[in-house]
Amino acid sequence: MPAVMVALVVLPFGVSVATFFLPVPASRVLSVLSGIAAFSLSLLLVPAAADHRQIAVGSFLRVDALSVVFLVATAFLYATTALFTTGYLALADNPAGTRYGRRFYAGLNLFCWAMLAVPLVNGLALLWVAIEITTVVSALLVAIDDTDGATEASWKYVLIASLGLGIALLATIIMYYAGTKVFGGSYDLSYATLLHGASHFPPGAVRLAFVLAVLGFGTKMGLVPVHTWLPDAHSEAPTPVSALLSGALLAICFYAILRYFQITVRAVGPAFPRTVFLIFGLASLLLAALYLLSQRDMKRLLAYSSVEHMGILAIGMSFGVPIAVFGVLLHVLCHAAAKGTAFFGAGSVVRKFGLKDMSRIRGGIGALPWSGPMLVAAVLALSALPPFGIFRSEFLIVSGGLSGSNDAGAAVLVVLVTVAFFGLSWFTTQTMLSADVPEASPGGVVATPDRGEVSVWIVAAMAAGLLGLTILGVHPPAALSHLLDRATTELGVPR
Amino acid sequence: MHLVPSAYAGFADVVAMLVLLTEFAMLRAPLLRSQVRIYAFQSLVVTGLAVDIAAARHVPDLYTLAALTFALKVVLVPGVVLRLLRDAEADLAGSPVLGVASMVLIAIAVSAFGFFAVGSFHVQSATLPTTALAIAIAAALVAFVLIILRTDVVSQAMGFFSLENSVSVASLVVAAGLPLVVEVAFLFDLLVAVVVFGVIMRVHHGRTKTLSTDELDRLKG
Amino acid sequence: MGPSVVAPQGIQALQVATILVGSPLVSGVIAHVEGRLQGRRGPRILQPYYDLAKLFRKETVVTDESSWVFLAGPVVAFSCYLIVPMLIPVLTTYGLPLGYMGDILGGGFILALAGFSVALAGTESGAPYAQLGSSRAMTFGALIEPTILFVFFAVALLTSTDLPYAMAATVRSSTSEIVRPGHVFAAIAFFLVVLADTGRIPVETHSGTLEFGMIDEGRTLEHSGPQLALLKWGSAMKQLILYTILINVFVAPWGLATSGSPAAVVIAIASLIGKAVLLGCIFALIDNLFSKLRLFKITEFLAAAFLLAVLAVFVFYVKGG
Repeated sequence: MPAVMVALVVLPFGVSVATFFLPVPASRVLSVLSGIAAFSLSLLLVPAAADHRQIAVGSFLRVDALSVVFLVATAFLYATTALFTTGYLALADNPAGTRYGRRFYAGLNLFCWAMLAVPLVNGLALLWVAIEITTVVSALLVAIDDTDGATEASWKYVLIASLGLGIALLATIIMYYAGTKVFGGSYDLSYATLLHGASHFPPGAVRLAFVLAVLGFGTKMGLVPVHTWLPDAHSEAPTPVSALLSGALLAICFYAILRYFQITVRAVGPAFPRTVFLIFGLASLLLAALYLLSQRDMKRLLAYSSVEHMGILAIGMSFGVPIAVFGVLLHVLCHAAAKGTAFFGAGSVVRKFGLKDMSRIRGGIGALPWSGPMLVAAVLALSALPPFGIFRSEFLIVSGGLSGSNDAGAAVLVVLVTVAFFGLSWFTTQTMLSADVPEASPGGVVATPDRGEVSVWIVAAMAAGLLGLTILGVHPPAALSHLLDRATTELGVPR
Repeated sequence: MHLVPSAYAGFADVVAMLVLLTEFAMLRAPLLRSQVRIYAFQSLVVTGLAVDIAAARHVPDLYTLAALTFALKVVLVPGVVLRLLRDAEADLAGSPVLGVASMVLIAIAVSAFGFFAVGSFHVQSATLPTTALAIAIAAALVAFVLIILRTDVVSQAMGFFSLENSVSVASLVVAAGLPLVVEVAFLFDLLVAVVVFGVIMRVHHGRTKTLSTDELDRLKG
Repeated sequence: MGPSVVAPQGIQALQVATILVGSPLVSGVIAHVEGRLQGRRGPRILQPYYDLAKLFRKETVVTDESSWVFLAGPVVAFSCYLIVPMLIPVLTTYGLPLGYMGDILGGGFILALAGFSVALAGTESGAPYAQLGSSRAMTFGALIEPTILFVFFAVALLTSTDLPYAMAATVRSSTSEIVRPGHVFAAIAFFLVVLADTGRIPVETHSGTLEFGMIDEGRTLEHSGPQLALLKWGSAMKQLILYTILINVFVAPWGLATSGSPAAVVIAIASLIGKAVLLGCIFALIDNLFSKLRLFKITEFLAAAFLLAVLAVFVFYVKGG
């Protein structure tokens, strides 16, 4: 297993360097292969992590069940995004295609490398460093299209996310300080060490560190009120980057918060972190549900949907019962698959119609025989309709809330998710299914192009995503359930 | 109860206070150039703190850190930004959202909040220089005010860098024993962040011919 | 042979006398040093005494519009400046009779009353420049007051009393007291206040003749004869009082008499004058190194002082600074 972990760290980085020098067609193949390889490698870790307490390589790399959950989600999205990019960039209307393509592939692989590294590294400090690397790489990727909107979005993104990470760094330092009470002046911030001594940490410092961590990493995770960069970056970035940001990056930052949660639960008990999660989760869910009702841009819509789902994750953690936490971890996997697929579909529509303002697009499903229906399916999946995985995960979360005597929280969750469902499906059905022309739309409706797919690669990526969602929804593999169980226990919420 | 801090801790407190004051100075500096220079001075102060703590607590690693901090934050970062400013031929900061007096008052209020927040968390102990920590957190909050109220990319970037400085102060006074590799990783990250900020600043200036962020109002909702 | 111990009442009288008699000397030295720094020979050190003597011999000219306030103002101010030295540690480390009749706030109020009566007298003259000076002095005074208040708060937090003697004793107690950031910043804030209150660069050109730039100096333009003498003397005393507070309360409370022995008292007088002259030289140096701020920038200068004072209070509040 250690070899697998090293390979996961080395491979995408190597590919990133290689793609910077190779011609674009070669990069395309290499990236897809690298993505699939990373996904397979991460799957290899699943049974091992479910059985062992932890697997460490040296003092820098370490995985346990919790990190493997996030590793699988990220690697899955890496693979599908690489597939999607093959179709997406083939049609890039950028004349300086090769230069753009090289940068794009190098950036994409580097971004995925940084995100894969986050669950692999051992210790809060390295965790912070890895997440900061994701910020800088993704900021450049957001800006890569070099439009006014992209510049603005990337400026907001890099500034707000960096500030958030500044706070997160403070959290790291205060957690380190809390540890000095037990381990003396100099020690390493590895998880095993911290978890071992956590019960003796001074509670005040740990509380402070936890709040700062939620605020800091929550900025990148998209928790309200520190989410403001998110819709802009998601809507202005190239679609593959949007998919990665939404499906993987947000989850990765949630992972970072969970690491703090693990320590905090041991140091001050579950009540405090749960309250913090509940506050941020409710705020995120409420605001996102309301914003979902008034969006005109498909990618912004999906971005607010991400805020919504991050809110659901936080609320699920606040319920604090094993079944809800199990649901939260399953939700991470499902959200990665569903959000990736939805973004791929949106990218397909935008490419097909050649414009971004989707309120002016009608009859998308007629123009795109495969990706059109699949986009609708992905949006329905995001709204937690069976048989897709999100139905299962949200069901688990809600039932956890009801069983854990948090009926009010569960009820609010259900109501707000329904509002969000309304916003999402209203817009999507209008764009994809309806054919009638809206009166007040500026510029009128664009003519529907000929029936036909943009690229078979896009269809393949979306199909993979939906397949994953269906498997998670209908019958999650036993090994995976085992892994999620184990991770739930590691989070200090034993079954 | 009035604990009188030792001379070493007193020095650390004074340094932290200087960082906070330079933060205020950056808030009101009308020239972008002077803002960058104040940042360089602030970094120099942080370097001094690193040396002081290295000597006082016998942590030789911190000398390396101090040297790196000096090279990076006193020389390199200000150099890069000043060069960018020369290329952009921009002198004055964009007109801030509020007048100087209001900004300073808001910053005072915010830093007061920082002080009392730290005080109320009861993290104080004999070993922890609570005052320096509180000052560092107040400085970080003032950096936020700077970023929010100044409307040009240089000020905002400098605000971020100075935020990083105040976090450095916090890390030096609270976690002096933090392994060197981690500290260096932080610094390396800052370096990368500087490059990214520089690139995006340049792109922004190339597109809008200004360093003001007033143009950045297209995306909302 | 005199008594081996000077009576406390005697020392109290000496405190007032030191300020009264010493203040023109300090002003004279500063003016002389300033002249030297500017490459001139500078006036004689005793020049202020000659000026005062001459002014006392001159007649008083009063405009028709002025009321008795115009004449009373300088007298009130002068008496205020005579009271303040009783409240602060001019010569001794311990409180003297009447020394506890007012705390540091009381001293502040009396100083403010003096400033107010001078300003009122200036307004009463009916002359535009004097009124301008008075109104400016009051405006900036309103900005200086909060700073002084916060400095006092810092002192109170540090010593749990608001007596200047206690503060000085705390500072003397150990070196680490001096590097406490709260103390340092309160002292700097007070330094800036002294700078502004004594009409020094960068707030005001104190020896200038340009009415437009005048603040404190402008108030006295219409007075003459003994009234002007009182005003000038009063302002010299105010300067020395502020210096004394800065030196003996915040920065260097050493050399004070710990007992009533005549030698100690003499040393205390000498050391006070010496320290005040040194401080004055620093002010003269600042006068030469910096230029005057534009009138509208003075608020920023005062805001900086206020900021320092507020921060000092915060720091003390968090954990004894």
